[in-house]
Amino acid sequence: MATAPRLRVDRSAPPPPGEIRPFRFPPVLRARLASGLTVIAARLPGLPLVSIEMVAPAGGQFDPEGQEGIAGLTAAVLDEGTSRRSSMEIAAFAERLGGYFTTGADWDVGFLATGQLSHHRAAGLELMAEVVAAPTFPTAEIERLRRQRLAEILRRGHDPSSLADDRFHREVYRGTAYAHPLIGEQESISRLDRESMVAFYRRHYPLAGSALIAVGDFDEEALLREAESAFAAVSTSTAPPAPPSIRPASLAGISVHVVDRPGAAQTELRLGHPGISRTDPDYIPLAVLNTLLGGNFTSRINMNLRERHAYTYGASSRFTPRMGPGPFVVSTAVATASTGDAAREVLHELRRVREAPVEPAELDETRTYMVGVFPYTLQTIGDVAKRLETLTVFGLPDDYYDRYLERIASVSREEILEVARRHIDPEHIAVVAVGPAETLEPQLAGLGPVTVWSPQSEDPAAALSPA
Amino acid sequence: MSSPATPDLGFERHTLDNGLRVVLHRNASLPLVTANLWYHVGSKNERPGRTGFAHLFEHMLFQGSEHVPTHEHFRLIQQVGGVANGSTWYDRTNYYETVPAHQLDLALWLESDRMGFFLPALTQENLDTQRDVVMNERRQRIENQPYGLAGEKLHELLYPAGHPYHWPVIGYMEDIAAATLDEVRTFFRTYYTPNNSVLTLAGDFESEAALERVESWFGEIPPGPPLPAVVATLHPLGGERRMVLPDDVRLPRVYIGFRAPAYGQRMWYAADMLAAVLAGGKSSPLYRELVYERQIAQDVGASVGPYESAATFMLVATARPGVAIETVEEALLGAVARAAASLPDPAELARARNRMLTDAYSSLQKLDSLADLFSQFTTYFDDPAGVAAEAGRYLEITPQELVDYAAGWCAETERAVVSVVPRQAN
Repeated sequence: MATAPRLRVDRSAPPPPGEIRPFRFPPVLRARLASGLTVIAARLPGLPLVSIEMVAPAGGQFDPEGQEGIAGLTAAVLDEGTSRRSSMEIAAFAERLGGYFTTGADWDVGFLATGQLSHHRAAGLELMAEVVAAPTFPTAEIERLRRQRLAEILRRGHDPSSLADDRFHREVYRGTAYAHPLIGEQESISRLDRESMVAFYRRHYPLAGSALIAVGDFDEEALLREAESAFAAVSTSTAPPAPPSIRPASLAGISVHVVDRPGAAQTELRLGHPGISRTDPDYIPLAVLNTLLGGNFTSRINMNLRERHAYTYGASSRFTPRMGPGPFVVSTAVATASTGDAAREVLHELRRVREAPVEPAELDETRTYMVGVFPYTLQTIGDVAKRLETLTVFGLPDDYYDRYLERIASVSREEILEVARRHIDPEHIAVVAVGPAETLEPQLAGLGPVTVWSPQSEDPAAALSPA
Repeated sequence: MSSPATPDLGFERHTLDNGLRVVLHRNASLPLVTANLWYHVGSKNERPGRTGFAHLFEHMLFQGSEHVPTHEHFRLIQQVGGVANGSTWYDRTNYYETVPAHQLDLALWLESDRMGFFLPALTQENLDTQRDVVMNERRQRIENQPYGLAGEKLHELLYPAGHPYHWPVIGYMEDIAAATLDEVRTFFRTYYTPNNSVLTLAGDFESEAALERVESWFGEIPPGPPLPAVVATLHPLGGERRMVLPDDVRLPRVYIGFRAPAYGQRMWYAADMLAAVLAGGKSSPLYRELVYERQIAQDVGASVGPYESAATFMLVATARPGVAIETVEEALLGAVARAAASLPDPAELARARNRMLTDAYSSLQKLDSLADLFSQFTTYFDDPAGVAAEAGRYLEITPQELVDYAAGWCAETERAVVSVVPRQAN
């Protein structure tokens, strides 16, 4: 290129920003179909893609005792056969268009999801309506999925990260629906029968309590017409079930749970306790607090454990709010010899954030991060669909995301201290470590009573008193 | 109504006097901009005994430069609402920042400071910390992961000692521990030069102003010596290579690898299409046979990596409880043998083609991955237009070419097999 004599740039300090460019969340369209199904949509032009999802009040929180995993298995069987198509025909129908069709459940909802090039979307909608309206629950497919899930449960019993998560939830949510793995237990999955799944489906997939979320490159009016036509024949059924009340008991002090994996190369470590519901009024200040505590690379916990002490490749903390009080957990994988020190540093950070207000600069940087990064989290149709799902599942207003940014900017140091004291409690916490018990136990014994677990058993390998 | 087979992706391309290649792609749908810098150096530039060095070096490049204190890189990017990271692969190392559009200068300042002024900030203390962090990364990703060593072992079998794809990108533990400060300096001077890199900007900016800023920040960095291409000769394997790898797992899993031509060649696209035909989706023949009908496998997958010197076509399947891993392996090899003997079902090929098209569009949604594609095509082929053209290259592949790949490259004597089995009977 042409080389004009140039001025040397000043490298001594970060360059000043240019002029800020505005951002607004895409307009949200809401409608209700004749069948009672709510539609919530956003147009995202640019690429010829569409993402369509239906969410129903059918999440794992509804799993009855003894039927752990029924929400997940029922959702998985939905697309295994309808009155018109077999399991393979359903899969082939979506895949031959270059798209996907999938069903599943998380803790809050059951879902059916499809995505494809946008000119194929009417076919996707029709398939979705057919699957939700007329699933046949074929016995052979149930048996196949049951065996697949039982094998998956076996696999989790040898995966250090799953072992840590599962043990953590069992201890923190003992006696509630959040205690079991979402996939279910070996005993419950072995026992679930077709009849109970059909009953679960009838109760938990009413159109009137469900929502259709569509994001992508489409004309909104055309999309509504297509949805109306696809769901016209689906009968409106029962009223939606009310979500169960999940109230975990408070933890008795600090307890340590070691899952014994002799010879493990590293230790998977979790520390935490029950957190908040997504509709808790403290959600936004708590999100700001968590971001600076352990939510991103420069957060206190990661800088301490990774950059200061080199115990780990990474450490993070997270609130995962659900309809009920989802977990607050600090997660990391550390060198085995550093496990005790790493756990103490995490507890130190949790105590510190309750003791003194955060630094003004730290709060400023965190707020500007969260506001600035928001458009980055909305680049794909899947990103935007996830936000619309949050609006509809938790009953938030359509202007929520505009107000969300304003609210973040207003969070104060005093508020952070207040929510830290209210929602983070390092004196009532479960510590889970998956690794060689022989090495871990002496390192962790000073924190609280230690129980050693065998990876594949619900009976403690040994119950030991603290030293 | 139909969609075009190739997306419409405009770009400008420039080369600075010092050899830095610059690609500009404007996309103002969000007020964001991403700066994506590829250095044409990866683990293939290492030598045995010092494996993992390119990746460790990537960690060091986040430890500050002359005008950027240790730990400040991430902090400066995050406090304006940006996201930064880097990654290392066999053939290249990339670094990227996505920031609000009005912070483009910040990203350029940070990237140009570490390209031009890295060495003054280098300390033994930072190297010691990052060696420990990387050893923990290896434990987390490989050694403490069920099946974690299998990919590494497959590559050791498929590529002979001395070939640069023989060793893993993250390196061996003892090699990571052995890295010295002097080696960091030499590596930087050799490979981290403007003439060995490509900078892509994608997002909301004015091209002329952005180019002027790039020239200001990067123009004064002197070029380095030209680099000889890495010689990576491959002779046929000439005999199957096998390994049984005991691990702390309950379900056995088999990994089967064949070589494929280098990324970018027409036959590479045939291999990738074959992977999509065989195992792309629930209605694909391998899923249908192994997971759905015979129920001998828990899962099955096929993939081909975009590597510059040669590629690996890999089939992976996990056995159901009580099923011998040999039964699963036989079924996978049977599918490969059929692919070598007869043309694919037209419906299967149509499914794979449509999937490639949807995937091509999906991969353009995020600015960071889009910019990464521009840097990739410019680094490997000097051809940023290749990003938009790639979907079309898949669609050109004929059914016969799938047969040609399977018949020509997937012979019994040209495969490596790693079976991961439970360490103790339980």
